[in-house]
Amino acid sequence: MAVLNFILTQIFSQTWILFPVVSFIGYLALGEKMSKAVAGLIKTAVGVLVMAQGSSLLIKTFTMILAPLNAKFGMTGILLDTYTTMTMTNNALGEFVTWTSYTMLFAFILNLVLVALQKYTHARTVFLTGNVMLVQTAIATYIVYRFLHTGALATIAIASVACALYWIIFSGILINPVKDITGVDDFTIGHQQMFGSWCAYKVGGKLGDPKKSVENLKLPSWLSIFQDNVVASSSVLTIFILIIMIMLGPDVVREMAGNTNWIIFAIKIGLTMGVALYILLTGVRMFVSEIMTSFQGISNKLLPGSVVAVDCAAIFSFSPNAVLLGFISGAFGMILSTLGLIAFHSPLLIIPGFIPMFFDNATIGIFANKTGGWKATIIVCFVAGVIEVLGAGLAASLMGVNAWQGSFDWSTIWVAVIYLFKAIGSLFGIMPV
Amino acid sequence: MKILAVCGNGMGTSTIIKISLKKMCKDLGIDAQIESCSAGESGSYLGSTDILVCTPNWEKLMTIPQKVKVVSLINLMNKAELKAGLVNALEL
Repeated sequence: MAVLNFILTQIFSQTWILFPVVSFIGYLALGEKMSKAVAGLIKTAVGVLVMAQGSSLLIKTFTMILAPLNAKFGMTGILLDTYTTMTMTNNALGEFVTWTSYTMLFAFILNLVLVALQKYTHARTVFLTGNVMLVQTAIATYIVYRFLHTGALATIAIASVACALYWIIFSGILINPVKDITGVDDFTIGHQQMFGSWCAYKVGGKLGDPKKSVENLKLPSWLSIFQDNVVASSSVLTIFILIIMIMLGPDVVREMAGNTNWIIFAIKIGLTMGVALYILLTGVRMFVSEIMTSFQGISNKLLPGSVVAVDCAAIFSFSPNAVLLGFISGAFGMILSTLGLIAFHSPLLIIPGFIPMFFDNATIGIFANKTGGWKATIIVCFVAGVIEVLGAGLAASLMGVNAWQGSFDWSTIWVAVIYLFKAIGSLFGIMPV
Repeated sequence: MKILAVCGNGMGTSTIIKISLKKMCKDLGIDAQIESCSAGESGSYLGSTDILVCTPNWEKLMTIPQKVKVVSLINLMNKAELKAGLVNALEL
């Protein structure tokens, strides 16, 4: 009994131990050598711990700006970034943060089970985009806990079901659109804007001419620098933070800067946030890669006929111009809505992050272009950008955090989910945590 | 034999391809070390890479040393094409 207790409270209560164990078992189960399994174990542990370092630096740095922003302008800063959101919701879970790891594991298992029972469930897709699974299950866990204040088992169960259903349903509706775009049925998309992509595909035809595809146009080549993700996300973040620091003004910044010149300090803070994000991503990359090796191996072995749902980037090469045009149009939509909110004296200062700005709008752009050409791409992605910002502001307020994903589905579908849990919670007289 | 799979983020597409490549190498009886990374990080890996797997987009944006054999596909998820490209690069 003491051994079981030890295992539960000391080992499985920590993600930096749980995930390595999962990787290790996964490798062995797939017939890998012991040396490879041990290497995987270590890499997973290191990855989780590196991510933790990135997260704590990110929160520490961002918090420095949030307080004066609130004090001086009465505004609440909300950063639209995938990993920052996860960091904040994980923080809010406090000691229960390891529940998120269980949600990820169980949502995956549930996905497999539902696809195995295809005959009854009509579930065809296995969601394998590890980094997205990590973030979504983490946030979903907090959504459930915040409004229902349930214990470990119930929270993990409910969040797992919510995620597994979201994954299966929405990657499922994209199977045919993706087939239309790629010309083959090798995969579907499993990401954060599946509903948005589906809407774009359906609506595109009414807005433009599919024969006038953006792929027939020649776009300026310098635009492709935006595809270098690591550099782009850090730069965009640095620039926005710098703008905020300038808005706060020299007096406020000097209080934080000590002896350093305020502009130089402002640049350093901006860069530090970019660096924090980079460290976080490096960690995520390391352990997600290990875990997904196991997940994918298991999925291939148990469900060889299933359709895999993968990262949106898998279709980027099929429509590279739509990627860029979608991104630019979406970026305009997002930035204009941000400015619009400020103009209408909203208490929310939304800071658009590069990741949702690029990946979501690029993906939606590809689907819009397929059925409606360049015109549809521009219109749909602009509107998507506006929805992404407004929905995120709403969600962040409901959730009481200073960040939100900014992804289309998380500004629409998951806002509905939040309202649903909020309603259930108030029905039972539970106060949001 | 060192194989490198590259995508934009170094997380989504390249991880899945890495797994497919591992299996293909095993089937072909090739002992290979397979890594995945983002295009931005590829610089530090390419010096010791033998075969690079990526999309035409990324191939254009990276500085690839002469000796590296490039398997460049629009659809990296297509196992048949990937295997064909790999076999070609391995000169089997």
